[in-house]
Amino acid sequence: MGTPDVGHRRRDGDMKHQLTRLSTERPRTVYLMVLVLTLALGALIPRIHVDTDPENMLPADQPDRVFHNLVEQRFTLHDAIVVGAVNEDHPDGVFNPESLSALVELTDAILAMDGVIDRDLMSLSTADNITQAGPGTIRFEWMMQQAPGDATGALAIRDAVDRLPLLENTLVSGDGKAAAIYVPIESKDLSYDVSQQIQAVVDGLDSPDDYYITGLPVAEDTFGFEMFVQMGISAPLAGVMLFLLMWYFFRSASLVVAPMMVAMATVIATMGLLIGLGFTVHIMSSMIPIFLMPIAVVDSVHIMSEFADRYHEGSDPREVVGTVIDELFKPMLFTSITSAVGFASLLVTPIPPVQVFGAFVAFGILLAFIVTITLVPAYIVRMKPDRLARLHVLAVSGEGDNAIARLLRACGRIAFGRPWPIVALAAAVLVVSAVGIGRIEINDNPVRWFKESHRIRVADEVLNEHFAGTYDAFLVLEHSLPDERLDTFRRNAAASLDALDDRALAGRLGEYLETDPPALDRLIADVDDALFEARDADLDRLEALLGDAESLQQARRYFLRPDALGYIESLQAALMASGLVGKTNALPDVTKVVNRELRGGDAGDYRIPDSVPAVAQTLLQYQSSHRPQDLWHMVTPDYGAAAIWLQLTSGDNQDMTRVMAAVDAWLADNPPPAGVSVDWAGKTYINVVWQQAMVEGMLLSLLSAFAIVFVMMVVLFRSVLFGLIAMLPLSLTISFVYGLIGWIGKAYDMPIAVLSALTLGLSIDFAIHFVQRFRTLAAETGSFAGAATGIFEEPARAIYRNAVVIALGFTPLFFAPLVPYITVGAFMASIMAISAAVTLFLLPAVMSLLQRLLFREAGTASGAPVTD
Amino acid sequence: MTRGLTAIMALVLGLGTATASAAEPLEDADAIVERANLAAYYAGDDGRTEARMLITDGQGREQMRQFTILRRNPEPGGDQQFLVFFSRPSDVRGTVYLVEKHVDRDDDRWLYLPGLDLVKRISAGDKRTSFVGSHYYYEDVSGRLPTEDTHTLVETTGEHYLLEHRPIDADSVEFASYRTWIDRETFLPMKIEYTNDDGEVYRRVESLDVEEFQGYPTVTRTLVSDLAGGGTTEMRFRFIEYDIGVPADVFAERSMRTPPREWLERGR
Repeated sequence: MGTPDVGHRRRDGDMKHQLTRLSTERPRTVYLMVLVLTLALGALIPRIHVDTDPENMLPADQPDRVFHNLVEQRFTLHDAIVVGAVNEDHPDGVFNPESLSALVELTDAILAMDGVIDRDLMSLSTADNITQAGPGTIRFEWMMQQAPGDATGALAIRDAVDRLPLLENTLVSGDGKAAAIYVPIESKDLSYDVSQQIQAVVDGLDSPDDYYITGLPVAEDTFGFEMFVQMGISAPLAGVMLFLLMWYFFRSASLVVAPMMVAMATVIATMGLLIGLGFTVHIMSSMIPIFLMPIAVVDSVHIMSEFADRYHEGSDPREVVGTVIDELFKPMLFTSITSAVGFASLLVTPIPPVQVFGAFVAFGILLAFIVTITLVPAYIVRMKPDRLARLHVLAVSGEGDNAIARLLRACGRIAFGRPWPIVALAAAVLVVSAVGIGRIEINDNPVRWFKESHRIRVADEVLNEHFAGTYDAFLVLEHSLPDERLDTFRRNAAASLDALDDRALAGRLGEYLETDPPALDRLIADVDDALFEARDADLDRLEALLGDAESLQQARRYFLRPDALGYIESLQAALMASGLVGKTNALPDVTKVVNRELRGGDAGDYRIPDSVPAVAQTLLQYQSSHRPQDLWHMVTPDYGAAAIWLQLTSGDNQDMTRVMAAVDAWLADNPPPAGVSVDWAGKTYINVVWQQAMVEGMLLSLLSAFAIVFVMMVVLFRSVLFGLIAMLPLSLTISFVYGLIGWIGKAYDMPIAVLSALTLGLSIDFAIHFVQRFRTLAAETGSFAGAATGIFEEPARAIYRNAVVIALGFTPLFFAPLVPYITVGAFMASIMAISAAVTLFLLPAVMSLLQRLLFREAGTASGAPVTD
Repeated sequence: MTRGLTAIMALVLGLGTATASAAEPLEDADAIVERANLAAYYAGDDGRTEARMLITDGQGREQMRQFTILRRNPEPGGDQQFLVFFSRPSDVRGTVYLVEKHVDRDDDRWLYLPGLDLVKRISAGDKRTSFVGSHYYYEDVSGRLPTEDTHTLVETTGEHYLLEHRPIDADSVEFASYRTWIDRETFLPMKIEYTNDDGEVYRRVESLDVEEFQGYPTVTRTLVSDLAGGGTTEMRFRFIEYDIGVPADVFAERSMRTPPREWLERGR
């Protein structure tokens, strides 16, 4: 090789000779070791735990995620499956006895299912109604406990819903053609199972309506289910594909068994280790087998190609293998390390599943390297001599003069002969790509992980067309009193207690002041009781304490204030005016409906009452319903925080980002009242957060990987200039791929984001082989021209062959039912093609232009005189 | 309804009877229910108590409600009158319910909201709605008629009659059945458990403390547990008095807007 550092060579020479000796002299031991490793780690695979929750894209302690979970807890919000019934034919839409009766039947069936949170299930048949029953009489009853028997009854329900803004467009579509059931579930892991049960009931339902099932938890859980199917199909398919490709290239099934064993052992051991270490299998990690398999066989292909070239009948396979390993060890080690670095760079992204993916693919690549240089030689030396002989004949006769070989030679002539047009073309591509990169739309939506024809996508589309939206986000308004207010209370209260004659009472009451916030309800209750028995002197002090405590309690019950509700109301109005939100539901809506009905039902009374007691008493009436707990989805029981539920018709991060921008703009003009903070929660929001984190993380990951690989190239080639040249193919490929994504309008989502690291890791391989072999050839032939001819023989063919193996190895992903896999498959295939092409055209062109500069250096570096 | 609910009524009003005897166990379920109903609801001509509810949700978050109940029953086992005056939290202070409970038809209910300055008559589709956001139902407070269920005596133990009750109109209630443990001596219900269609007990009402006032054994602390959602409401009764002689005309709209102080003050 071109780098005669004796000490260095001795070191890695020792290691590789030991390894080679072990594998050629004790092949059975190597087999056994690989087998034990594979079986031991493979035995851990049954412990697999699939995780499809996009929330896990963020670390568990990420502030937005922590807040989101706190909000879900404080407002008792649950993940919900959305079931929709749509009737396009009946003039009254779903408001006909048959449709409604089916809806009641389905609701009852769902309520009987395990894992469904009955009390929070929302359906027309579980909703409460509030109406006027004659002058001065208000009526509370179930909206539809039984299905109406006739058309009049059905229409009466429509009219009732029309008067309840909380239900309209949420439980029933504005056009009356659709009704929905929101099915809250105890755990999202149950949602696929529950949705299947619901589907089974729907299938047996005597209803004129079309039923649809969607909601983020269903999408996520269904995705997990199909991910399994996917892994069961695509990974084996990729294996079959690789086997066939290599069989085609080497015309020897028995020889191809070796790389297949490497691939299997690597994949099984890596996945076993991942699962064994307790990591969940996420959408990213489920792709590890598909990534590792093609990468794992590449080194074997090199060894076998080289072996086939050098082996002659009668020669000692042990010796030939030793020479081959000696020759290939360093480039294979470097390509493995650079690929591993490309993937390991994903560790700097703040997205745990992406980190796990990067780390384990990197591990798998290094494992594949070790298994390759031990298992493949062991396999070769155990092959029968006649097979080995046939191998050589095929290798020598097969390739030298076929169409591909001729094409590659032509490519070499063009690249070395007319470098300027190629460099100009590359520059043009770079410029166009840069513009394309500027056009990249960052967007993701877990529902879009399904194909358009998938029933979840269809349901998503239909239901969001009819309703205000099946995607949730929450704006949480939180009020906190100034610290001084609490301090003053504590001080005054302590003073009152100090003055009490009844010391036992003072001690008991004092405990309520020690908690944060003070336990006001209990303090008030105990003081109230004590007042009954207190003596004259204590009476005044207790009265004062009671007054202070009640006044603080009222101040803390902030979201009973009409002005506080008014602020929420105007924020809701601004959201609706933005046109980006399907609907908002919040405390003012409930308050206004109950106020209107209490005051006689006139539309003019659909307003927020004008005092705290009026609001409190209105809400007390709302709580006298079948579902008092519904209030606590909108405000916390201490009235210190309120949530606005936003229904969005799109779960696209872009759309959510627009809503967030609209809210920011409105808040800038309408700052919240003193002590009130406004924050986001909800799944749709969380998706935006992790995606933003990912975009930034990916840039950092790419830059750091780029820097590390560059340094490695400089070390490998002992030359900054060669290092820079080696970086060219991957730089152009990455620019081109992302430029293409920008131009064709494909959204930059999670799978697209990780492609940069993959591209970097894989396309550097070609550059290493090309540059390294070129320099060797230059040293051997002593001329640039000689190397230029030689490089487009076997080395170019090896690059071509590896590009084809990896590109086609990814094609089984085209048949995946899930979009991210298809995306990755398509892009990986094109990345391999592009980076191979860039390597074979741009590298020779640039090297030809810089040959004086380069080979003066190369000459110095290799110690071999190079002239042209 | 059955004793069960009747019993709750007893809890709420702190009514009881000392006439029961544990000597010879009763064997007829309807007779036990009848006896418990009379004992629990119709002892004394009237009564007053202060009640405080501590509503705790599944996450342990607490809310408090405090109110005073005035009750009058002109005739044992017959119609009854109630006034419920809210005093806490302070923003609902002055809210009043007036209930005319009828044994042969729907109750008449009125509501006064001082914040809105309005009296409304309330008509309800059923009585199993929440009582001001607590885990008690309105029916737990106003009483379920014994005639609304069928009753079976399941077991007689040393202390209790265990009865099972099934609704005659199953569509009007959320339970499939419920069981009541009635104290053989006081005829107070010590425990009630509601069972849903799946046969699971999802709701429990317990009498935690019983004291005697003016000769009437009275439940002074009771707890309802929502076994599905994890929440509870504890209700304590204080300042209990019977036979105070409150006149019938106090139970009128006038008393809602202007509370009859002399009948509400503790320890008159």
